[in-house]
Amino acid sequence: MEKQPPAWSRLLDLSDKALAVLLLAPAGLLLSLIIVYPVLRLIYTSFFSLSLTSGLPAEFVGLENYQLMIEDPVFWETTWNTVLITLITVPGALVVGMGLALLANLPFRRQWPVRLSLLIPWALPLSFAGLIFAWFFHSEYGVVNDVLSRFGIEGVIWFNSPNLAFAAICLTIIWKTSSFMALIILAGLQTIPRSLYEAADVDGAGRIRQFFEITLPLLKPAIVVALIFRTITALQTFDIPFMMTGGGPGTSTATLAMYIHQNTVSFLDLGYGSALAVVMFALSMCVTVIYLRIIRTKE
Amino acid sequence: MNKSVVAGALLSASIFGLSAPAFADTELKVYISSQHQPQVWRQVLDKFEAANPGTKVTIETGGNTSEAQAQYLNTIMSAKDSSLDVLILDVIRPAQFAAAGWTSPFEGKDMSVYLPAYAEANTVDGKVVALPAFADSMFLYYRKDLLEKYGIEPPKTWDELKAAVKKINGGENNADLQGLSFQGKAIEGAVCTFLLPYWSQGKTLVDNGKLTFDKTAAVNSLKLWKSMVDDGISKKNIAEVATDDTRKEFQAGNVVFAVNWSYAWAQSQGKDSAVAGKVGVTRLPAVAGGEQATCLGGWEWGVSAYSKNQDAAKKLVSFLSSQEASKHMAANGSLLPTYPALYQDADVLKAAPWFADAKQVVETAKPRPVTPRYNEVSEVIRTTVNAVLAGVTTPEDGAAQIEARLKRILR
Repeated sequence: MEKQPPAWSRLLDLSDKALAVLLLAPAGLLLSLIIVYPVLRLIYTSFFSLSLTSGLPAEFVGLENYQLMIEDPVFWETTWNTVLITLITVPGALVVGMGLALLANLPFRRQWPVRLSLLIPWALPLSFAGLIFAWFFHSEYGVVNDVLSRFGIEGVIWFNSPNLAFAAICLTIIWKTSSFMALIILAGLQTIPRSLYEAADVDGAGRIRQFFEITLPLLKPAIVVALIFRTITALQTFDIPFMMTGGGPGTSTATLAMYIHQNTVSFLDLGYGSALAVVMFALSMCVTVIYLRIIRTKE
Repeated sequence: MNKSVVAGALLSASIFGLSAPAFADTELKVYISSQHQPQVWRQVLDKFEAANPGTKVTIETGGNTSEAQAQYLNTIMSAKDSSLDVLILDVIRPAQFAAAGWTSPFEGKDMSVYLPAYAEANTVDGKVVALPAFADSMFLYYRKDLLEKYGIEPPKTWDELKAAVKKINGGENNADLQGLSFQGKAIEGAVCTFLLPYWSQGKTLVDNGKLTFDKTAAVNSLKLWKSMVDDGISKKNIAEVATDDTRKEFQAGNVVFAVNWSYAWAQSQGKDSAVAGKVGVTRLPAVAGGEQATCLGGWEWGVSAYSKNQDAAKKLVSFLSSQEASKHMAANGSLLPTYPALYQDADVLKAAPWFADAKQVVETAKPRPVTPRYNEVSEVIRTTVNAVLAGVTTPEDGAAQIEARLKRILR
């Protein structure tokens, strides 16, 4: 009589494809639980009039929340602020981060102080950075106005002016996020073989030429990765303006994420808040798709 | 020698110990904001525990501003979390909590024992949704020493206040001395900032749930505060000033007049106060030809609708809101009572003599609009006040924005 093969060995009889599906199933299930379900639920809620302060049950209203959004000046203002913050702080953090990475990559005898100082802004919680810089830019007790006065420049009330408040926020975000850019770029820099530069030296290429001909092209993958992460977090900017200005003066420095938080957590208008969040989700998706396209075409 | 006695004691102790859980079968958790002296409330809770063996009460603290506290509770309550049994609520919140179905009503509770404003603030659609914890209102703090030095009476109108500041500033010649500190930051206090001169003109904002906005009065109100900045009475960065900044500036001796809540008194008399013994407290001034008005404050106790110990929680709230507890908090925590009689109580007045004059102020204080959508109303007003004081919006545009946005919220 022939012996039945043990149960586990039947797994091996499966085709490669079926096995792959089987082995991926737990991960797929987990992903759909923690990502797909909440996103679908968010989109679903955005079609309802669901306000906890109204005392009324949820009611299906179709696209009404989206229509309200188009007529809502605060939505446009906060979206524009968010886009502007992204357009200013992402390139800003890239340039500063690149500089910091090159500095940290210089052949100092002791590199750890440079690298440690790179890590500190990255390791600070966002809201903490916002709190610290709110004090830095305070018109009376702040260090920024104090430094300005030492150079004979009269201090300004940063948070009284939409433009100055916006500038203060962008500077803070660049300070906070450039170290993250620097860390990724530094890792990229260290994969570039020394021999390339030695060869360039022999060929008589100057430092600047070496940077543009060797460093930058070889850094491209690291830069793109850093840019994707930074752009998406920039679109979700919340903590730093929340702690620094609370969106003020008026609503001139409020971001879309702050407006979502206000509608859902403070006003308890879950329907409208969800619709706003769907827009932010769509914005992040668009940006990711654009970046991925760029990488593919480049390859 | 008395081994058996010891053994017997141990035995009975262990029996008592074992059976203790059978008595302590009710555990209640009370949420108190950290700025509301949880350690003094603890003394009241200890009294409750002593009178109700078998009930254990623990405190959870958090959120040291009204907004932070509300955001925390909004998250907990919208998740239908049953971990909190009793909640302390800002006087502006019972209506919202009741509309969301987050608090359990108190059936047949006699509210006439409290000051009328608090009986009203806790009654929504004829139902008692929370009970008063303590009263509060905004006062005008002033430097008694400086006013006496220049022979000035405490001002009754804002114009008198401006004149007083000019006289004092002229004589003192101190660039660090500010005339008036008030709240210009986009916080809850800025809503009161707007309402003080608005009400003073005899206008209401909401009546029976209907918007009764008076644009002229709103423009006047915003103009008044802007003129404080433009005339040099208040400092240029007043849009950065929050409630506790006002308290600190006044306490450091850098302010002649300050608009603040009652809590500032105890600290201004403290050891590290530069103005201890030099502080006067009076009613807030009126606009010329108007009536003196102030903003009603105070906090309330509510029972969470998701609490699994409804009866025990209600019993606790009734105790926390009792005259006995109110007296303890007035004498030990300088919290204004919601019972009229306590303002003449000898023990209370011994601890806080100025309470004798505070009752008439609290009695005439006006509540902020009672609506479930108060958070939105508040946001509209405070961001506009902030923008006007920062010079980003004119008083006229600000009033128009408030009107347009309030019409949408309270339609």
